[in-house]
Amino acid sequence: MKLVEMRGITKVYPDGVVALKGVDFEVSEGEIHGLLGENGAGKTTLMRILYGEIKQTSGEIIFSGKAVSFKGPWDSMRSGISMVYQKFSLVPTISVIENFYLYLSSFQRGVGIEEVRRRAEEMMERLKFRVPLEANVEDLAVGVQQRVEIIKVLLSKPKLIIFDEPTSVLTPIESRELFRTLRELKEDGITIIFITHKLKEVKEITDRVTILRKGERVGTYETPSVSEEELAIMMVGRGIVPTKRSVSSPGREVMRVEDLWVRDDRGLNAVKGVSFELHEGEILGIAGVQGNGQLELAEALAGVRRAERGRIIMDGRDITDLPAEARYREGLAYIPDSRAVGLVLEMNLMENSILTSLRDFLGRGGRIIWPLASDRAREVIERFNIVGSLRSQVKYLSGGNQQRLLVGREIIKAPKVLIVSEPTQGLDVAATEFIRSTLLKFREEGRSIILISSDLDEIFELCDRIAVIYEGKFVGIGRNEDLTLERLGLLMGGVNA
Amino acid sequence: MRKIVLEVSLSIILSFLIGYIMLILMGYDATRVFSIVIREGLSNPTYLMMRSTPLILTALAFSIPSSVGVFNIGGEGQFYLGALASLIIAYTTGNSLLSTITGMAAGGLLSALIAVIKVKRGVNEVVTSIMFNWMIYFSLLYLISTYLFDPLMPYQSVSVPKNARIEYLTIQSVSIPMIFPIAVLTSLAMYFLMYHSALGYRMRVVGISPKAARYAGFDPESSIIISMIIGGAMSGLGGSLLILGHTHTIDSTMSGLYGMGFAGIGAGLLGRNNPIGIIFSSIFLSMLLIGGEAAELRARVPTELADTLIGMIVIVLSAPYIVRILRVRR
Amino acid sequence: MIEDIISLTSQALVAMIPLLLASVGEIVTERSGVVNIGLEGILILSAFISSLVTFSTNDPYLGLLAGALSGLSAGLLHGFISVYLRGDQIIAGVGFNTFAYGISILGLINTWGHHGASPMVSKIPFFGAPLYISPLLPIALIIAITCWFWLFRTSSGLRLRACGEDPRAAEAMGVNVLRMRFLATVLGATLTGIGGAYIVVGWIGQFTRHISAGRGFIALAIVALSGWNPALSIAGSFIFGFFDAISLYLPVKIQLINPGLNLTSLSYVFRIIPYLGVLIIVSFFFRRGRAPRDLGRPYIKE
Repeated sequence: MKLVEMRGITKVYPDGVVALKGVDFEVSEGEIHGLLGENGAGKTTLMRILYGEIKQTSGEIIFSGKAVSFKGPWDSMRSGISMVYQKFSLVPTISVIENFYLYLSSFQRGVGIEEVRRRAEEMMERLKFRVPLEANVEDLAVGVQQRVEIIKVLLSKPKLIIFDEPTSVLTPIESRELFRTLRELKEDGITIIFITHKLKEVKEITDRVTILRKGERVGTYETPSVSEEELAIMMVGRGIVPTKRSVSSPGREVMRVEDLWVRDDRGLNAVKGVSFELHEGEILGIAGVQGNGQLELAEALAGVRRAERGRIIMDGRDITDLPAEARYREGLAYIPDSRAVGLVLEMNLMENSILTSLRDFLGRGGRIIWPLASDRAREVIERFNIVGSLRSQVKYLSGGNQQRLLVGREIIKAPKVLIVSEPTQGLDVAATEFIRSTLLKFREEGRSIILISSDLDEIFELCDRIAVIYEGKFVGIGRNEDLTLERLGLLMGGVNA
Repeated sequence: MRKIVLEVSLSIILSFLIGYIMLILMGYDATRVFSIVIREGLSNPTYLMMRSTPLILTALAFSIPSSVGVFNIGGEGQFYLGALASLIIAYTTGNSLLSTITGMAAGGLLSALIAVIKVKRGVNEVVTSIMFNWMIYFSLLYLISTYLFDPLMPYQSVSVPKNARIEYLTIQSVSIPMIFPIAVLTSLAMYFLMYHSALGYRMRVVGISPKAARYAGFDPESSIIISMIIGGAMSGLGGSLLILGHTHTIDSTMSGLYGMGFAGIGAGLLGRNNPIGIIFSSIFLSMLLIGGEAAELRARVPTELADTLIGMIVIVLSAPYIVRILRVRR
Repeated sequence: MIEDIISLTSQALVAMIPLLLASVGEIVTERSGVVNIGLEGILILSAFISSLVTFSTNDPYLGLLAGALSGLSAGLLHGFISVYLRGDQIIAGVGFNTFAYGISILGLINTWGHHGASPMVSKIPFFGAPLYISPLLPIALIIAITCWFWLFRTSSGLRLRACGEDPRAAEAMGVNVLRMRFLATVLGATLTGIGGAYIVVGWIGQFTRHISAGRGFIALAIVALSGWNPALSIAGSFIFGFFDAISLYLPVKIQLINPGLNLTSLSYVFRIIPYLGVLIIVSFFFRRGRAPRDLGRPYIKE
């Protein structure tokens, strides 16, 4: 029986962007249906329309045999559709049980908190995992938060659950646990839509898969009948060519970090005694699931965050006590994982291009020489193929162009050491390939890069040496050739085999 | 740019409309009142320039910190303090330059204090500013009635001696009060600071995104404090110029000073927080204030009409999406 | 000495009522994520309207109702601008204060021809000598306790708090964030309106130019100091009510001891006490991090 039928769904945004073009999509009851596509293909948009968060420009939706037009998520929730987002919909500053209470009271006015507790316990029994009910959500690890989200969603006994890239915040071991849970849910008769851009996951967990590319449906197949290569070609429109990394011969030491300890925003130790060396012409990868101290480590290396203990030595000079602006002048550059941090979105392209090298554009008495700034901006636009004009506000650029600006601005300074975090997160394949080859070219010029990424494919593609960070410590460090995906996965999950 | 002109015009038109209706409801001849306001407001350019001067400065006092994300509502108190300090120094030393500098320093110190409390204790600057406003208001009333009053004219303070006053410059039969070009030049200097200097760039980044600022190595806290010091100095300078170039004295009810800080907020917003726009918006609002006073004499409409209009303008300007909604409807 | 304390306390209990009503109202508003700086303006406006109504009808209770309605209207305006138009809440509040002041004085002069104050109007009687307690005091206390219970012990209160902590998550949980914030703003403003009316019909007995004198901002300080908890704001309101009472009481007392001093000038100095008190207490006792996370940010759905 067809549970979901979406016919001819088109979505055009007010600024003219066409997110979806006449997409047909149907899901049978009781199956796990994968929705595959690269970043920006329209998968999340399509599901948000089904969920009632966004309205489609044209097309109809039939759920459980009836034509529906949901006015909002609570409307679809009452019909039995739930969605587990990448960014969970939990109120972080209240407890788990209060979040459950809040959720259930939208369905049943007058339900008591004891009833909520009872149902939560029941669910935890069924799924065979527990979450601390009294803890505030923001104090829990991300993997636990996802479990809270799943339990929450199940409390309303949905018919259909949509998962949006759920493994992006999990270690390989946690992902396997999640898949086990999904299979249990399937046994209970719940239908699942699984959004992902990872081919392996499609093959592992889904019964059928629909591929979207640039807002259009490419096809729907029984999963066993397609290979990963075929899926890849359909997803991108051509074969994905992995970037070629030449074998490196690292030179002298350019950076040494000794016993670094860094606290996070809440005062807890996020980095606990990290030490490593970085050489000329080398890309050192730091692999790990987000939330294990990478952010604090990167910020401490850049000088944006103060280290509690330890030393950082670059090119023989102790830069531990130097603030960020001074480190940037010494030849260090940092590309943070969030464009809202690395760029000032309300300012224009020209103003953004001088953000981390302001001193180079000043004249007498601290005066900004704008013609120099516009020259630099034009250089970046040209070299990094950015679509945008000098005076246009950066917030109106596409994500890919924003990232090119961010990466380009830092690379054009020709720093000795470049620290880059999640460089291709959320980008489409074309932009991803461009940025990765840019980084490799940079390395070939004899420069050094510290690459922080939760994407293992990216780590293997680009890095000469790989370290794994887990709960603030390096739990393994070795050369690319000597490591395997499985070993990395185990290390990321805290297993020291 | 178009959007800005539209927003500003809309807010003025809307507030005038509401003011018009209110006047009619209260039984006044609204058309006559408005024509008096506009005509009288513009009739004397010298007086207009003189009245606009403190407003330009209190507008800057709000707008500069505003660009850094801080709401300097304390412009009122900083204005009083600047006027007081200036008066005392002018009276005791007869030196207008020293008097001006003291006024700026007084205002700047007060706003620095507000900024430090905000940054170090996390206390919202709106509350502390208002507390200081009222404290200084009452302190000033006390000082004027007990120590600083003029024995010959006890309803006002001692006057600024003639040699310390800032006078006029007459060019082609137009008398320009020198305080006006001082204010205009200050505004231009602020424009240059905000858009052409490293300090201004850093402050603007902090105002838009403190996270991006930290990433770039800019310290949000020091930007906040510096912008507040500048803001307070602006307001203090406004009080100074008022005393030295216009009223020469503070009357015992402080009627000449009261409300300048808040009107400055209106002028700052109407000028879209841009120092050059502020010059024009201050002149416009001063026209309303002068016209409002004339309307009181001629048509017996209280001067608080101007407050009502200015308040309405600020309310409308707080909603940037009004213009967008109106556009989408079409 | 004892009579002094009793007299001061009864003064404080009167002075605390508008502070309590306004701060409890604002706590509800801010818990939903909206900040209303315009409390001062609401106090002035509702004081004026209630004095007008009480004067015309000779009924202070109608005056109280009129005050509530003025607050309600102000809440509708601020709510509309802050929630639906996604306007800047602080600027809207500041503008409203100036506007309300202007329109109230205009009204004052227009109605009674006087620039400083209105004529006296009938007041709500007190009971319980020697501690003269206004009937509005128990009512205000009940309102405060009820709000505390509602916010922290009921599911609808939880939904309101969720709006102020993480509106996106609240929306995803089925809460209509925009409507909830709007209603919270209206409710808060209405309570403040009652407080403003009370200053006239329950306390001073007339509308004067400086009838509010910063009380709206003191209420804002109480909101922050009480940690956004209506039960604690009772203590805060009493403390500042006490400061208020002292500032009026001390100059009279000192004049009695030393008749040579000028009362008017002296009273200026003592008027500083409440504001200085707020400043000191707030600077030393405020702990950040307890405000609703999303306070002051407009909620923009995609």
